[in-house]
Amino acid sequence: MSTTTDGQQRHAIGVAMKRKEDPRFIRGRGRYLDDIKLPNMLYLALVHSPYPHARIKSIDKSKAMALSGVKAVITGEDLDAAKLEWLPTFHGYDKQMVLAFGKALYQYQEVAGVVATSREIAADGAELVEVEYEPLDPISDPYQAREDKIVLRDDREQKTNHIYHWEVGDKAKTESALASSPVRIKERILSPRCHPAPLEPCGVVADMNKATGRLTIYMTSQAPHVHRTAFSLVTGIPEDKIHVISPDIGGGFGNKVPVYPGYVVATVASVIIGVPVKWVESRTENLTTTGFARDYHMDVEIGATKEGKVTALKVSTVADHGAFDAAADPRKYPAGMFGIVTGSYDFPAAFAEVDAYFTNKAPGGIAYRCSFRVTEASFAIERGMEILARKLNMDAAQFREKNFVKKEQFPYPSPLGFTYDSGDYAATLRKALDRIGYDALRKDQVEKRKRGELMGIGISTFTEIVGAGPGKQFDILGIKMFDSAEIRIHPTGSGIVRAGTRHQGQGHETTWAQIVGEELGLDPQELLVEEGDTDTAPYGLGTYASRSTPVAGGALALAARRIREKAKKIAAHLLEASEDDVEWKDYKFGVKGVPGKSVTMKEVAFAAYTNPPPETEPGLEATYYYDPPNLTFPNGAYIAVVEVDKDTGAVKVLRFMAVDDCGIVINPMIVEGQIHGGLTEGFAMAFMQEIKYDDGGNNLNTDFTEYLIPTALEAPRWETDSTVTPSPHHPIGAKGVGESPNVGSPQAFVNAVMDALAPLGITHIDMPLTREKVWRAIRDAK
Amino acid sequence: MSLNWSGQERIAADKSTVWNFINDPAKIAACLPDVQSTSLIDAHSFNATVGVAVGPVRGKFTFKIVLEPRADGNHMDMKISGGGLGSVVDMVAGADLSADGATTILDWKGTASLRGPIATIGGRAVDTQSQRVIATTFENVKKRLSGSG
Repeated sequence: MSTTTDGQQRHAIGVAMKRKEDPRFIRGRGRYLDDIKLPNMLYLALVHSPYPHARIKSIDKSKAMALSGVKAVITGEDLDAAKLEWLPTFHGYDKQMVLAFGKALYQYQEVAGVVATSREIAADGAELVEVEYEPLDPISDPYQAREDKIVLRDDREQKTNHIYHWEVGDKAKTESALASSPVRIKERILSPRCHPAPLEPCGVVADMNKATGRLTIYMTSQAPHVHRTAFSLVTGIPEDKIHVISPDIGGGFGNKVPVYPGYVVATVASVIIGVPVKWVESRTENLTTTGFARDYHMDVEIGATKEGKVTALKVSTVADHGAFDAAADPRKYPAGMFGIVTGSYDFPAAFAEVDAYFTNKAPGGIAYRCSFRVTEASFAIERGMEILARKLNMDAAQFREKNFVKKEQFPYPSPLGFTYDSGDYAATLRKALDRIGYDALRKDQVEKRKRGELMGIGISTFTEIVGAGPGKQFDILGIKMFDSAEIRIHPTGSGIVRAGTRHQGQGHETTWAQIVGEELGLDPQELLVEEGDTDTAPYGLGTYASRSTPVAGGALALAARRIREKAKKIAAHLLEASEDDVEWKDYKFGVKGVPGKSVTMKEVAFAAYTNPPPETEPGLEATYYYDPPNLTFPNGAYIAVVEVDKDTGAVKVLRFMAVDDCGIVINPMIVEGQIHGGLTEGFAMAFMQEIKYDDGGNNLNTDFTEYLIPTALEAPRWETDSTVTPSPHHPIGAKGVGESPNVGSPQAFVNAVMDALAPLGITHIDMPLTREKVWRAIRDAK
Repeated sequence: MSLNWSGQERIAADKSTVWNFINDPAKIAACLPDVQSTSLIDAHSFNATVGVAVGPVRGKFTFKIVLEPRADGNHMDMKISGGGLGSVVDMVAGADLSADGATTILDWKGTASLRGPIATIGGRAVDTQSQRVIATTFENVKKRLSGSG
């Protein structure tokens, strides 16, 4: 038994159980994609375009084909002949080339594939494919794309680079409220293009067995079922003939949600040749061609009264989607959950709009450890509120407190259409302020400023929106975003638990066992969790957007409760009592009013197979497909304390306090680990990472010497704490946490640096806050 | 990414000797540093395979080099295009020739456009390497024309 974060005594939830999956990971016994080696396996290497925008005049395969060991060279023309050249994008509003066909639209775009007997021969063969290009002027800037002087996509009917306009909220009311507000701010805030850069890059082993007609696809997939359906829809192969297995995954962060050309070309090669074909991308391929994140240019306007009460928020965004609209957003939300941009604040009026454009950059726009654009939205509002607090000359914490959605306002209907489930923002902020010693830090800052030292305190009080989601609002390729669980309890009381999700390091093998263990009074150590195999797991939409616990977690609890319903019948039979008199109490079945007479779930499980009641189906298993009634809204208060070296621009993070409210915590150790990891990623975004393109369309951050990953040496020490407001609609009150630290932290760092630079009159610097950028800002301010 | 260079070289040979030298692809090819192999295409062009080592980009690049002499004998353009290992280099160089007694003056400038991993390495590293290549090439030209090379 443990006491959970809400003060309840519980059997399995709230226990800091060690992760069941870790022994195999830390002993090198995991089975990742590249560990899969099949007999007669061939290897695929891809040829990439060095040009960001070029017409393909010819492709000469002859030299590559002449190389001993090369079995096939595949081009866009070959795929077009097989009607496999174009893939549907997530929401189905655009299509994406598998291999550049006619034109290359971004640097490093896949142009051809070489299949050979070894990885090395395939790479040598790729060097021998001769592609003749006619270079065209590239567009690397969405504002330039907006002018339509060069139209990039000649395959589309609409001759424009504009992809879509999306808006939400009351524009007239918002603009009128802004116009009449005595205090206003307007700032262009960039959430720069970055990349999830999972340590394991993407890969596939496609294995077409011509004897059985069955195609087995091992792939680094965060959503194996959706990928199976997508492969079936695109290839016409019946879905029962496709078996997707997602083995252990070394980090996903959204990067392993889309279908990439390498997956398709390897699969086509295997289908044609009839042997397994493996493709594992390089680090550079991962950084230059697979799903990037962000690239939102946001014009943020906020109005307020002189007393510091916000009146209206307007955010107009230009989104750079690259060469195809392959953004991983649900069909009805082309700009994802950007409507969460009002954040934790009670705005009487709000309006948000997004215009997306094609550029000669890699396509994507995936939710990098965030629920569909919530990171961009959160960054915009938290930077905007900080700038406004300074303009009002108000303390950043007091200004936020004054404008929070109050705890009694929940469920809170936001002006941009969401209903926030629960929260106590003031209590969460207060806890963070107390833990870090905010008042003392402010006094310290005054003293330091007198001495000319640049110390800053940055706050982020963010609200996330996760758990996509209600099927009535969210779908991918038309498939509703429910999730599923299947539980089978064995005769001896252990069991197997399967879910439609696929973890990539989140600890589902432990957390799911704890949820089921809690509901059934069983030992989580005796519940085996299995995910990622479409032949055995129930159909689910996968793991991303912090949706696993909010959606699959609900399915697990409800499947377990179905088992408990049946178990109650068996228990009544064993207890020789009427079912109405049997109650589930203290994790076992008892008879009301008869203390001491009880049976455990283990005893019931044995009876389910050996002594079921007459007329009762033997066995003890259940499946549940859970379509949540609403999203969940994890939130938190983060505070960063930094000092800036005014001579070098170097920023040192002195303290970082994170207080998270993710509802009921299932495993506090796993939650803390998630928060540490996410904060480190947020730190990297704030200070180190950007995928930049020069004017000529060259990608300048193509490996880990140019795209930096913080190690333990760079990462600050994290301090964490929590508050708990259970989600009222979730079966166990959990909200999800995986993305909160990534969503909530970048703005805390940036706000802290801007607070440090406030005496110099510097209002905003776009991320990443590299030493050079900070140094230049200080120099220019002098 | 674009890089630009320019300079002036004084060669101790008369203008017609220099002009004839730089019109000969075989002689020019012999002056390029780090060349692993060359093959003449015609009287004014040749292919060269060059060893490249700039940061992490290490291996062979293949270039096509085309000489475009102006009929008046005072100006030579040279187009170099090619690459390798996923990188592309397009370079245009031009030189004006003038006589200063027995010496020939070459006023030259060049522009290179880089794409792919070579562009990622950054202008400074590539610029330094390119300047070394240019300097070595001119040294070799001078040596050969002065008979010492």
